[in-house]
Order: sequence, then C-alpha cells, then structure tokens
Amino acid sequence: MEQVTEKKDTYTPKEISATRRIIGDRGEYFLRSVEGETMANISACYQCERCTNACPVSIYMNINPHQVIRYVQLGWREELLRSTTIWVCLSCEMCTTYCPNDVDVAKTVNHLRNMAFRSTVPPAEKVLAVFHETFVKELQRFGRVNEFWLVGSLNSHPDVLKEKIKTGALKEELFLGLELLKKGKLKLIPHRSKEMKKIRDICLKETRGTI
Amino acid sequence: MNLAFYPGCSLEGMANDYARSIIAVFEKLDVGLVEIDDWTCCGATAAHSLSDAMSVVLPAKNLAAAEKMGLDIVSPCANCFNRLTYSRKMLSKNIYDVPWNVTGKSKVHDMTRFLAQPDMISQIKDNVLMPLKGLNLVSYYGCQMVRPPRITGFTDYENPRTMDHIAEALGANALDWSYKATCCGASIGLGRRDIQLTLSARLIQKARQTGAEAIIVSCPLCQANLDMVQTEKGSQKVPIFYFTELMRLAFEGKACSIKNFRMHLTDPGPLLRKKALID
Ligand code: SF4
Ligand code: SF4
Repeated sequence: MEQVTEKKDTYTPKEISATRRIIGDRGEYFLRSVEGETMANISACYQCERCTNACPVSIYMNINPHQVIRYVQLGWREELLRSTTIWVCLSCEMCTTYCPNDVDVAKTVNHLRNMAFRSTVPPAEKVLAVFHETFVKELQRFGRVNEFWLVGSLNSHPDVLKEKIKTGALKEELFLGLELLKKGKLKLIPHRSKEMKKIRDICLKETRGTI
Repeated sequence: MNLAFYPGCSLEGMANDYARSIIAVFEKLDVGLVEIDDWTCCGATAAHSLSDAMSVVLPAKNLAAAEKMGLDIVSPCANCFNRLTYSRKMLSKNIYDVPWNVTGKSKVHDMTRFLAQPDMISQIKDNVLMPLKGLNLVSYYGCQMVRPPRITGFTDYENPRTMDHIAEALGANALDWSYKATCCGASIGLGRRDIQLTLSARLIQKARQTGAEAIIVSCPLCQANLDMVQTEKGSQKVPIFYFTELMRLAFEGKACSIKNFRMHLTDPGPLLRKKALID
C-alpha cells in the first residue's frame, strides 16, 4: 500500500486514494485499539490545536500533539513510533489539562511510547529511551533508585557514552558530579528492599523481559 | 495525629537536606511522621514511559504498607505524590494483577496542601519565632503536583496557592507570577540538556522580572534542576529553597545555622544575610 507521509500542497489522485484507504481500514482498527486501551476519548478531537499551544516543547517535536491525535485516527502507527514527539514529551500534562474535549493527549503520547518500547522501530531519541530503561533497571537492582548509580549506569551504556563524548556533555557532568559529591548530595551505598523478588516479577512481566 | 511518611528516592540522595528540614519542622508541629518501613520507588517518570500498568502496580507496595499502619500517606515529592495518587485511583478499578492487597483506605496527601489547611496554618503561625520580613519570593509548583487535576484533585491548578499561604504565614511576601505550574524540564535533563536549559532559564528569568529574590519549591527534581542550571556562567543567582527550609528558618530563628543551607549550589547566604535573617 502506498503511503502519503510528506506534507505537500497538492496530491495526485493516486495519493489521495492511498490516504483514503489508510483511513478506511487501518485507521479504524488502530484508533479503536488505542482508544480502548487508554480511554483517552481520541475520536472527540476537533483539531483546535489547544494542546499544541499549551505544550512547552512542541517546537522540538516533528509531529505536534494535535497531529498525534489525528495520526492515531488515521492509523499512521509507524510515523508515530518513529517520531521524536514520543520521546521529547515531558509528561507535563498541559495538553490533557487544557483540551476542551477531554481528550487525554498526554496519555495517548505515553501509550505510543509504551508501544515504541515493545516495537522494533528504533527510537528517534536514543539517549532518552536508554534513560527510561536504565531507570527501571536500577529500580530492579535495589527497589529504590539512587542518583549516583543511575547516572553511572546510564553513562556506561555504549551509545550514551559515545553521544555524550561527542557533545562534550560528559565532561560537564563529571564536573557537576564532583561538585555534588563535595556538597554531600550523593549517597553512595543504596538501601536494598526486602521484597525485591516481587518487584522484579512486576518489571519482568510489564516489560516482557525486553530490558 | 500521625501520618505515614513516604520520602521517595530523591530525599535519600540529592535532596537529603529537604528530608532533614521536614523532620525538623514536623517536630514543632502537632503531627507525627512515621516513615513507611522498607518503602520502594514509585517508578517516577520512567516506569510509566515503559508501561503504564507497571506505574500502577509498583507504588502499590507502599500503599499497602500504609494501610497496614492504618495511616494516611504524606509525600513531600510532587512526582511521588502524583504516582501514588494515580496508582491508588487506578487500582480501585480492580483490573490489575497486584501482589499486595490495597483497599484504598489510606489517602495520599501532598505535603504543601496538607500544611496549607487552615488549622495547620494557624499552628505554623504559632511557631514562627522570626518572621521572614521583607523576603520577596515566588512559589513554584511544577507539573506533577497539580496536573492532571482529575488525578491530583487541585481545583486551582492554574494558580495554586498552597505554598503562597505557607510563605505568608511565615511573614514573607509571596509574589504573584504566571509561571507557577510551567514545566521546568528537569526530567529530560539527562538526555536533552538543551531543552532543559531553555525551559529552566526562562523560569528563572521570569522570577527575576517579577521581583523575586528567591524561589520556593516542593519538588526535589525541580529544586535540583533550577539550582543546577544557575552554575552556568552569566546567569544571575536566585536561591531555590525547599519551602520547609524557610519554615525551619522562621521556626528556629537565629539558632538556625547557615550550615543547613550548605548543600545549595546557588548559595543563599548573601541573600539571607542581606535580610538579616541569619548571622
Ligand atoms: S486540544 Fe483536544 S480537541 Fe484540541 S486539538 Fe488537542 S486533542 Fe484535539
Ligand atoms: S504532556 Fe507531553 S505532549 Fe502534552 S503538553 Fe506536556 S510535553 Fe507536550
């Protein structure tokens, strides 16, 4: 099936019919499954863009929040999972709070992020994806998350390390870490919970063992 | 009256000064804090990014523990408060597979809102030894404490006032500004520092334009973020206080040593000395 993904001023009849086909079959199914799992009221959106205007980071996204809702209605799953939007989103809940139609935009974006973790689509923001995974890995280690261990194991991930050396962020972080250590803000030996088994089981089940 | 205290991971590490000030403040108030034994992480921003269900089930351990103690939970961290409240609400649907038994009888309180109740405010006023006269500050709430309103229960989510009431009870001037609940970008800092810096620099600039000499916060992540971005060269310094630190200062007066503020990266010493609040 031919897909129309780039924005253009005019479309050929062939492209239009391709788009219609997508709306017709895939769209319905995808919309219903996302709406069913999130209860996010996605069909009610009338594209007023209030969510995008409220979003503090929409300029860093390639698909704006109101477009995310439209894309879900159209069933454009791959575009959504490949977007920077789902990683850049801060879960600040501005979009949901200000939507006049009670569309839970933040929950929809988060649901797509959950889907992206389970899909084979590579994340558009590698470091952010690794950060979330590392956090949960650390959670499974002690039951509590310790900042020192968290940043340590994040930065020892090969992709992150490469990226941070390239941008010079690593050097900055090392200096900052030293400053924090001097101020007594870092706890080096974390507490370990007594119910680690149950916590690991929850994480294993919910992440399908992907991390 | 007792409350089950859920400190959260930050209060063990980066925000251990917040934890100390909370304990010092509650000693003076008529409320006991009992730390939940063997509490575990609520999942923060990462668990729900990976799986929404995981973010519902993980906090259940703490909810169950508080129910066993027969106490309501109070959480000083905005993010923990949000996650625990969300979990408690979703668990009532009974569609999750949870290894702990949660009935929902323990409520979850956000610390600022608990302390801003009229009877707590009058207790705070009774305890003030040294009013913080002439200290102009703005309060910053961030996202997780107030939004989404149907989870957090804040009806004034556009203009929350809980910390303003507390600051006024301490004798400080709480100024009005428009950025009380605008995101500071802390959660994205480890991956996209450019976004974090843009969002937090704007907040600090707006606070200064409002005429604030300090910002009070209740979220450890917001504090760390706003405090740390000011180590960047060229930015003007605005100390970022936890609201309980100022409560402690007002309660203890001159007995409160500058050492209590030593963990701040943006040194509040000059400001407090200028206002003659500390020796
Ligand atoms: S604010 Fe609501 S109705 Fe408006 S575009 Fe966004 S999701 Fe659609
Ligand atoms: S939750 Fe995400 S999409 Fe919604 S306003 Fe915040 S950053 Fe934007």
